[in-house]
Amino acid sequence: MPQIFARTADTWLRAIALGALVLALAFFLAAFAFARSQYWDVVARTPAQPVPFSHKHHAGDLGIDCRYCHSTVETSANAGFPATHVCMTCHSQLWTNAAMLAPVRQSLAENRAIDWHRVARVPDYVYFRHDIHIAKGVACVECHGRIDRMPLTYRAKAFEMKFCLDCHRDPAPHLRPRDAVYDFDWKPPADHAALGRRLMAEYHIKSPAELTSCGTCHR
Amino acid sequence: MSGRKLWRSLEEYQQSEAFGEMLKAEFPSIFDLWTVDRREVLRVMGASLALAGMSGCKPARSDDVVPFVNRPEGFLEGRADHYATAVLLDGYAQPVIATTSAGRPIKLDGNPEHPAFRGGSTPFMQAAILDLYDPDRSQAPLMGGHPASWADFDGQMARWRDAWKASGGAGLRLLIGPMTSPTLLRQIAEFRAALPQARVHIFDPLGGYGAEQGALLRPRLDRADVVVSLDDDLLGPGPCQAIHARAWGERHGDIPADRRMRLFAAETTPTLTGAKADRRLGVPPSRLSDLAEAVAAAAGIAAAQVRLTDAELAWAKLAGKSLATARGRSLLSAGRYAPAAVHALTLQVNQALGNVGKTCEIAPAFGMVAGAGETFIDLVRDIEARRVSALFVLGANPVYAASGDIDFAKIYAKVPVRVHAGLHVDETAAISNWHVPLPHALEDWSDARSPDGLATIIQPVVQPLYDSRSIHSLVAGLTSDAALSALALVRQTWGGQLADGAAWANALKTGFVEMPAPAPPAAAPAAVARAVRNARPDEVEIVIRPDPTIHDGSFANNGWLQELPKPLFKTTWENVVAISPRLAAGMELKSGDVVRVASGGRAIEGPAWVLAGQPERVVTLFLGYGRTRGGRIGTGIGYDAYRLRTFASPWSAIGTVKPTGGHVDLAITQDHHLLDAEGANLVRTVTPTHPSAAIESDREQDSFYKPWPEDKPAWGMVIDLDRCIGCNACVTACQAENNVPVVGKDQVQRGREMHWLRVDRYYAGEPDDPETYFQPVPCMHCEQAPCEMGCPVHATVHSPEGLNLMVYNRCIGTRTCSSYCPYKVRRFNWFDYTSDAPRPTEAQRNPDVTVRGRGVMEKCTYCIQRIEGATVQADIENRPVREGEVMTACQQACPAKAISFGNLADKSSEVRKQRVSERNYSLLAEQGTRPRTTYLARINREDGDGE
Repeated sequence: MPQIFARTADTWLRAIALGALVLALAFFLAAFAFARSQYWDVVARTPAQPVPFSHKHHAGDLGIDCRYCHSTVETSANAGFPATHVCMTCHSQLWTNAAMLAPVRQSLAENRAIDWHRVARVPDYVYFRHDIHIAKGVACVECHGRIDRMPLTYRAKAFEMKFCLDCHRDPAPHLRPRDAVYDFDWKPPADHAALGRRLMAEYHIKSPAELTSCGTCHR
Repeated sequence: MSGRKLWRSLEEYQQSEAFGEMLKAEFPSIFDLWTVDRREVLRVMGASLALAGMSGCKPARSDDVVPFVNRPEGFLEGRADHYATAVLLDGYAQPVIATTSAGRPIKLDGNPEHPAFRGGSTPFMQAAILDLYDPDRSQAPLMGGHPASWADFDGQMARWRDAWKASGGAGLRLLIGPMTSPTLLRQIAEFRAALPQARVHIFDPLGGYGAEQGALLRPRLDRADVVVSLDDDLLGPGPCQAIHARAWGERHGDIPADRRMRLFAAETTPTLTGAKADRRLGVPPSRLSDLAEAVAAAAGIAAAQVRLTDAELAWAKLAGKSLATARGRSLLSAGRYAPAAVHALTLQVNQALGNVGKTCEIAPAFGMVAGAGETFIDLVRDIEARRVSALFVLGANPVYAASGDIDFAKIYAKVPVRVHAGLHVDETAAISNWHVPLPHALEDWSDARSPDGLATIIQPVVQPLYDSRSIHSLVAGLTSDAALSALALVRQTWGGQLADGAAWANALKTGFVEMPAPAPPAAAPAAVARAVRNARPDEVEIVIRPDPTIHDGSFANNGWLQELPKPLFKTTWENVVAISPRLAAGMELKSGDVVRVASGGRAIEGPAWVLAGQPERVVTLFLGYGRTRGGRIGTGIGYDAYRLRTFASPWSAIGTVKPTGGHVDLAITQDHHLLDAEGANLVRTVTPTHPSAAIESDREQDSFYKPWPEDKPAWGMVIDLDRCIGCNACVTACQAENNVPVVGKDQVQRGREMHWLRVDRYYAGEPDDPETYFQPVPCMHCEQAPCEMGCPVHATVHSPEGLNLMVYNRCIGTRTCSSYCPYKVRRFNWFDYTSDAPRPTEAQRNPDVTVRGRGVMEKCTYCIQRIEGATVQADIENRPVREGEVMTACQQACPAKAISFGNLADKSSEVRKQRVSERNYSLLAEQGTRPRTTYLARINREDGDGE
């Protein structure tokens, strides 16, 4: 009776088993890398907007305060999107014929909202509040990055739970005096750690146990 | 501590086997699944595996942001706005504060500034918001059942108007539902003047169709020390419930003994008032007049020749004596269901005791006073005599709600021109030539009086969802071609008093405005004893009442109210025929067995409900069901009790009851979520001489667990069982606040109702005449929570402030927590109950609360969204959260102020004070869970007190 398996069958079997293992491992690694990638976190992507609004020009070069447009950032959970009227305070005088601004003029004329695309967002089950973060000395740039250098707006940080927790576990290094919250060019003093400790006490920042309790952000 | 045995249902009282099995089942909600065969199990498992794979595929959320073109001043995105307005019940204003989020009304609560309501809610008030988003609301005018436009209607109206102008309105009739609107009353007066030949009729099914009752008394419970109710459901559902419950709450709980109200209730069918009475008496309607005479005699007013049982006589003597000893501070009150003779006697007794003007007032007529020939029966006669050429039915549904001895559908069809205006295309709209949609109370301007006499300007809190037109504009359109807005008409009414812009703005802001009371109606002619035929031995007395949650049928399409357990029976989704335990035993009937109730040649068939405390030969029917055009959930459920009503005697009848042999499975919640303990341990009672509720072993148990640190806020709740009237306002408020889904009858039958807060009902004593207890049970937020130990994925964890949190994203649905929970307060999403909800209802959802998906556990959070909101605000201002800053939805809604909530670590807080009360006890304290929710025992009268 002839042999069913060739001499090399054992070697083949081992090679295939090993190969399958390597493939599976590679697949998991790839999936893991993908989940951690900027693509998955929607970082550094600039979605098409109805008007190519430049934060670099408005907030950086012209130095318009964040709160001029995001007017409810200190009083509400939402920072607030500017109404067409806010755009038109200046643009009824400046660049009145710019083709780029046609959708804004059209919005005012037709009393129809401009349909922007959100860049920074957290999932529905996260109840993030702007007002409390501003009140506790967390600067805009902590989450939104150097928005004053963005010609087109993109998400600077991965808004994953890890990102939030890094700060909620140890807030001190991320705190600033309240008057520097909107300051893009603020430089921490030499003794940053001492400042952090001082602000933690002054602003009554809660303990990490409280800040990382599930109910703080999820309900 | 009372040693009395408490029971939850007759099955438990009789210690039936099924009840024991239900109690021991680990997962009662899948208890019945063990009876299915192997193939069925495999099929279900296969299906759920397939579904599990699919639940990950959800459509991505839209990334669009749509800012304002011009932001309204003072508007803050992400912050709720509050407006004082009112919703209507039986035509009366129920003053509310409407909360809107991004322009959507999401919650109604009692107006705390209102002097009578003082922030109290009722289930009807809470659920009115869902009616706004009712997907089956009428959306456009219909002509002969086909969609038409307002322009078509206006064209037709112009032609009719010309004809009426020429004839003085001959043949034109209006039929208006119950209302108290000063603007509408003014308009009707003007209408009568403009068209003297036209007539206005009133249609009020719950007012007994306007049958003469004589002068009614308006009770002032807040001023009464002794209250004797003759079939008056003071604490029961209705437009006055919140007012009376507030007064009740103030006279109960931890107050000096001499402030405590004593309540005697005689009732023809069990009610909430009887459940809370110090002495309750079940009495058949035929003997109510005699009982009233006996009470009057005992109070020393008149001698009486009455035939009563010993128990009735004893009750009457005690009640009468108590009334007489508290002259000027006592109140004898007769229900609107009572015959005119009882009302006349009640007035006489109160006058003799000097109570009138103190504990009660002669009630003014806030609504329309029907003149001669203007009652509903007059309209019916005129139609029969062909004197009516056009009938406008405004905000009423007479084809459904007319009494059964008047076949109004047939009579209505004899009118050549039939126009119906209403929120729904209902039974009346279906056979009208024209139907036009009315706006919901929250959508357009109006005004109305609350039962205490104050008026409320009803301001809209949202743009009308549909192309509707206000009743004011419609009535104005009968005589004038000028298109007048409701706002203009309301302002015209208030032109004198609120002409000033500031006064108008203030009236809108506070939500009420003073208004002189109209004169009381003329006293009815001396009570003519109606010849009441006595029931023969083979007959029973039939009592007809509005349904506790569906009312007169107008809430039939409201899912919250359909699924709300009826306070006393705990049935849902249908009406039952309440029948006494003795009568049921005599006919070998169980709850759910179908009976046929016949009277006057008409009959209905409905499931029997053996109701403890029901007078022996009395059956009670409930109105509001059996709708044929009641919307997608209100149609075709229950029986129509209006069929057995007669115009002359709308609230009682004589008839027969017979089993048909059929049986239906009722959706009852009373045996769901059972606590495995002796009832008397769960619901404790104290007496003034034995004020301590705790069993010795409950206090100061040794424990290995460390006590809770007191440096942080420690949220806790105390529920006062002495104040709780079991009205269910808390349950509905919780449902509205926390996006609690409606699951439907089939799911309720399996014990899968989702209410985070349930009100358990217990009885003590004999089923014929029991004492009734209510116990609201939310999550206990145990400091040592068993559920947290059971969860394999840490989906339920503790917060530093002592909240037992539920993390939906972590939950994998093992339901271990639920089986570990000794209080049975956890609810599982067996299906996706939310994403298939019909379109506009989702607009009601609270954006601050997660809408839960399939396969996760949920439960009471102590309204964590409100705690977080207050905490963040306090944190921004660098201060601790103030006492009273956080109110849970149930606490805010409770009309009797039975629920307190706050920081237990704050020694001055109300909740801490109650926590150290002698009446305070924990549920299942022996389990060592250290619940944060505790109870204050009910204060019972001393045995033998007053005898």
